[in-house]
Amino acid sequence: MAGSLVLGALQVAGTLLLAPLLFGVTKRVKARLQYRRGPSLLQPYRDLAKWWRKESVESDAASPLTAAAPAIVLASVVVATFLVPMVGIVPPLDGWGDLLVVIGLLALGRFVLALSALDAGSAFGGMGSSREVAIATLVEPALLLALAGAALAARSTDLGTIAGVGQAAGLSWYTPALLLSAAAFAIVAVAETGHEPVENPDTHLELTMIHEGMLLEASGPRLAILMYAAELKLVLVAGLFGAAFLPVGLARTASPVEILVALGATLAKVAGAAVALGILDATLAKMRILALPGLLTTASLLGAVGLAVRLWLPS
Amino acid sequence: MPIDAIPALIAALLALSFLSAVAPVSRWNRRPIALVLAALASVAIALLGLAALTGGTPVMVEAGTVLGFAVIHVRYDPLAGLFMIALGTVGMASSLFGIGYEGGDSHGAGPDRTRAAYPVFLASLALVFGADDAFAFLLAWELMALSSAVLVVGARPGPEVARTGYLYLTLTHLATAALVVGFAVIAATAGSTDFATFGSAAAALPPTARGVVFVLLLVGFGTKAGAIPLHVWLPRAHPVAPSHVSALMSGVMIKAGIYGIVRFGLEILGPGPEWWGLLVLSIGVASAVLGVLYALMEHDLKRLLAFHSIENIGIILIGVGVAMLAYADGAPALAGLALTAALFHTFNHALFKSVLFLAAGSVQAAARTRDLNILGGLARAMPVTAIAFGIGAGAISGVPPLNGFASEWLTFQGLIGAGGTEALSLLARAAALLAVAGLALTTALAVACFVKATGMTFLALPRGQGAAGAGETSRSMGGAMIGLAVLCIAVGVGAGPVAGMIAGIAAGPLHLGPVAAGGIAAPVAGLQAVYAAAPIALLLAAVAGIAWLVGIRPRTVRRVPTWTCGIAPEPAFEYTATSYAKLIRLYFGPILRPAREVTVEMHAGTPFPRTVRYDGRVSHVIDERLYGPLHRAAVGGAQLVRRLQSGSLQLYLAYAVTTLIVLLLVAR
Repeated sequence: MAGSLVLGALQVAGTLLLAPLLFGVTKRVKARLQYRRGPSLLQPYRDLAKWWRKESVESDAASPLTAAAPAIVLASVVVATFLVPMVGIVPPLDGWGDLLVVIGLLALGRFVLALSALDAGSAFGGMGSSREVAIATLVEPALLLALAGAALAARSTDLGTIAGVGQAAGLSWYTPALLLSAAAFAIVAVAETGHEPVENPDTHLELTMIHEGMLLEASGPRLAILMYAAELKLVLVAGLFGAAFLPVGLARTASPVEILVALGATLAKVAGAAVALGILDATLAKMRILALPGLLTTASLLGAVGLAVRLWLPS
Repeated sequence: MPIDAIPALIAALLALSFLSAVAPVSRWNRRPIALVLAALASVAIALLGLAALTGGTPVMVEAGTVLGFAVIHVRYDPLAGLFMIALGTVGMASSLFGIGYEGGDSHGAGPDRTRAAYPVFLASLALVFGADDAFAFLLAWELMALSSAVLVVGARPGPEVARTGYLYLTLTHLATAALVVGFAVIAATAGSTDFATFGSAAAALPPTARGVVFVLLLVGFGTKAGAIPLHVWLPRAHPVAPSHVSALMSGVMIKAGIYGIVRFGLEILGPGPEWWGLLVLSIGVASAVLGVLYALMEHDLKRLLAFHSIENIGIILIGVGVAMLAYADGAPALAGLALTAALFHTFNHALFKSVLFLAAGSVQAAARTRDLNILGGLARAMPVTAIAFGIGAGAISGVPPLNGFASEWLTFQGLIGAGGTEALSLLARAAALLAVAGLALTTALAVACFVKATGMTFLALPRGQGAAGAGETSRSMGGAMIGLAVLCIAVGVGAGPVAGMIAGIAAGPLHLGPVAAGGIAAPVAGLQAVYAAAPIALLLAAVAGIAWLVGIRPRTVRRVPTWTCGIAPEPAFEYTATSYAKLIRLYFGPILRPAREVTVEMHAGTPFPRTVRYDGRVSHVIDERLYGPLHRAAVGGAQLVRRLQSGSLQLYLAYAVTTLIVLLLVAR
C-alpha cells in the first residue's frame, strides 16, 4: 500500500513537472534537423512563467465560459494522467477508471476547449474548433479499435491490469495482432497531439491552425494553463501507448532498483515519443486537411485488422 | 396510502386535467390548471414507478373492461417501474415548463382545446408501460399515437404541419398493424390475450413463426422508437410540436418502442436465434451513426435534437442487440451488463434530451427562431437556459462526469466484452467489435454536433434580430430546465448505485435470478473494469477549482473587442452552423452526398457581384432510396386501381355480379 503510494506520488510529481520539458525536446529535435540551434530545453517553462505574469485580455463578446474553460480543460487532462500507469504497474488512482474513462476525459477537454473557441466570435476560433472536432471524428474510432485490441489481450479495459498482464507475458505479449493495434494507435497519437503531418504545432499562420486557432483568443495565465494542458496531454498519450502496447519496466514494488528502472524506462518511452514527434515535424509536410481521412481511416483499418487477427488466429 | 390506489389517483388527476382543458371558457379553463394537475399526476406516476421498482412484488390493478368483454390488467414490475420513473420525471418538468411556455405563447389567443390531448397522452403512456394484456396494450398504444398526433398538429395548424401529421399517423398505424398481427399470432397459440400466457405460447411456436413474430414486433416497436430505416416520421414530427410535448415525445414516447423490444423481443419471445441480435445490433449502429450525421447537417435546433433522438435510440439498441446475442448464446452475465447499459441509457436519454428540448423551447420563445444561423450570443441574455442546455449538451455528448458518459461507458463494456466472450460465435464477436468503432464515431460526432449547437446558439455575437432582443424566459421554465439538468449531474455522479439498481431491473427480462447490486464495477464475462464516477467528478472539480482560484479568478482581465484584422467585429465574421459542419460534410461526403448551388448576381455591366446566394443541402439516403420508390409505387398503384373506379353505377353492379359468379364457381 505504502509502496503504491510512493510510486503514485513519483508519477504525479514527475508528469506534472516534466511535461513542458518534453515539449522542449520535440522543438529541439525539430530545430537540429533543420540545422538550427533551437531554443533551450527550458524555453517552455520560461514561456509558461511569462504568460503567468501577464494580464488576461478577453473579447467583449465572451461569456463566462471563456474564463472557466481553461480550468476544466486542465482538470480533464490532469485527472486522465493519473489514470494511466507510468511509473508503477498500477496508476496513481488505481481502480478509479479504465481506458474508456481516459478517452472520455479527453473528450471532455475537447468539448470545452472547442466550445470556448467559439466564444469570442472570431472566425479563427471557429476554424480551429470545427477542424478539431472534425478530425476527432476520424481519430476516435481508430483509438478505440486500437485500445480494444490491448483490452481483449488482457481481458480487461483497466490500464493497470493491461500493463500487468502485458508485463507478465513478456515477449509473448507482442503478438502480430497487438503490433497492428499499436501501429494504429501510433498514427492517431500523432493526430491527437497535433503534430505533422496532421498539424504544424509551431504554426502561426491563421489558415493552417487547429489547436493554435482555438487558443488564439486566450492570453495571460489562461493561455499558460491551456498550453500546459497541451504539454501534459503529450505525456498522457505517450504514457497510454506505453501502458497498453509497451509495458516494460513498470515497477511492481517500491524498491529503489525497480523505481530507478521504472523511471528510466518511462523517461525513455516518453522522450522517445517526443523525439519521434520532433522528427516527424521536421521531415514531413502538413497534409491537406481534406486528405486526412485517407491517413486516419488507414489507422482504423489497421486497428480492425488487428482485432480480426485476434479473433480468427488466436495464438 | 396503499400503493394499489396510486393508479386510480393518477387516472383521477389526469381526468380532471382533461376536463379543465375542455371545459367551456371560465376560470376553470385558465391555462395553468390543466398543467398543474398534470404535474401532480406526474409526481404520482414517478411514485408508482418507485414503488414498482423497490417494492419487491409488482403493483397489479384490474381496471374494468373494454366494451364489456376484455378486462384491462395493469401490472407494474421493476422494468415498467423504470419507464414510469422516467415518465414521471419528464412529465413533471414538461408540465411545469408548459405553464410558462403556453402562458407566453402568442399563437392561440383563446383557449386551445388541443391541450386536452396532453393529459390523455400522459395517461396513455402510463398505461402502455403497465398494460398486462394485449387489448389494454394496443388500446393504450393507439391512444398514445392519436393524442400525440393531436398535440403535434394542434398547436400550429397549416398545410405543412398537416402533411407532417398525416405522415406520422400513417406510419404509426402501419406500426400498430404490425403489432396487432404479431400479438394475434401469439394470442392464437396462447388462447388468451393475457401477457402472462404469452411467454409459454411463444416458446411453443415453430421457429419460423417465432422469427416472423419477432420481425413484426421489431417493425412495430422500431417505428415508434424511430430506429433507422423506420425513422422518417420522427425528425418531421418532433420539431413541430410545442417544446414541452417534444420533450415528452423524445424523452419518453419513443422509449415505449424500446420498452416493447425489451419486453417482447427479450422477455416474452425469449432467447432467439443469433440473427435477431445481429439485426438489432446493426439497426442500432446504423441509427446511431446516420442519426448523428444528419443531426450535424441541420441548422434548425429542434430538428437537430430530433435526429439526435435517432442516434440515442441507436446507442440503446446496440446495448439491446448485444444483450440478445449474449442471451441467445448462453452468456447471462454479459447479457445482463448489455441490457443494463441499454436501460441506463434509455433513462439518461429521457433526462438529457428533455432538458435540451425544453431549453430549445425557451430559446424559441425568447428569440422567435430555431435557426442556428441567425441565433447566437444568448449566454449572457439567458444564463439559466444556457447553463441547462450546456449541461444537457455535455451529457448527450458523453463526457464524464455526466450521466450520458456512464451509460455509454457501459455500452462500450458490453461491446468489448462481447468481443472477448468465447461463448459467442465469431460472427457475433466481430460484429460487436466493429460496433465499437461505430459507437466511437458516434460519440465523436455527437461532441462535434453539440459544440456546434451550443456555440451557435449561446456564444459569440447574435447573428439576427431575434437573438439580439432575447431575454430570459419565465421562472417555471427555468425551474423545469434546471431541475432536469441537476438530475443529469446527479445521475452521472451517482452512476454506480444507479447502475446497480438498473442491473437488478435487467435481470427480470433475462429471467436471471436476483442480481447482486455490484454496481458499475461489476466484473463481467472475465472482463474487469471500473469507473468510479463520484471520485472522478470530485477530483475534476477540485483540480478545476484550484486552477480557477489560483490562475483565473484573481487576475486582472481587460475586455476589448475581438481582433478581426483591423476592422470592427461583426457577427457576419463568425462561423455559422453550416460552415462549422463543412469539414464533416466533406469528410462524410460519400454518405451525405452534399449538393450546393451558388448564385452570383453582378452589378449590371461590371465584374462586381451584387448578391451572392448560397444554397446547400445533403441527401437523406433512406428517404430517397427506400421511401422514394415506395411512395412512387404506392401512388402508381393507386392510379392503377383508380381506373376501376369510374363512378358509374352500372359498372359497379357489373363488378358485383362478376364477383358473385366467380365466388359461386370457386365455392361450388
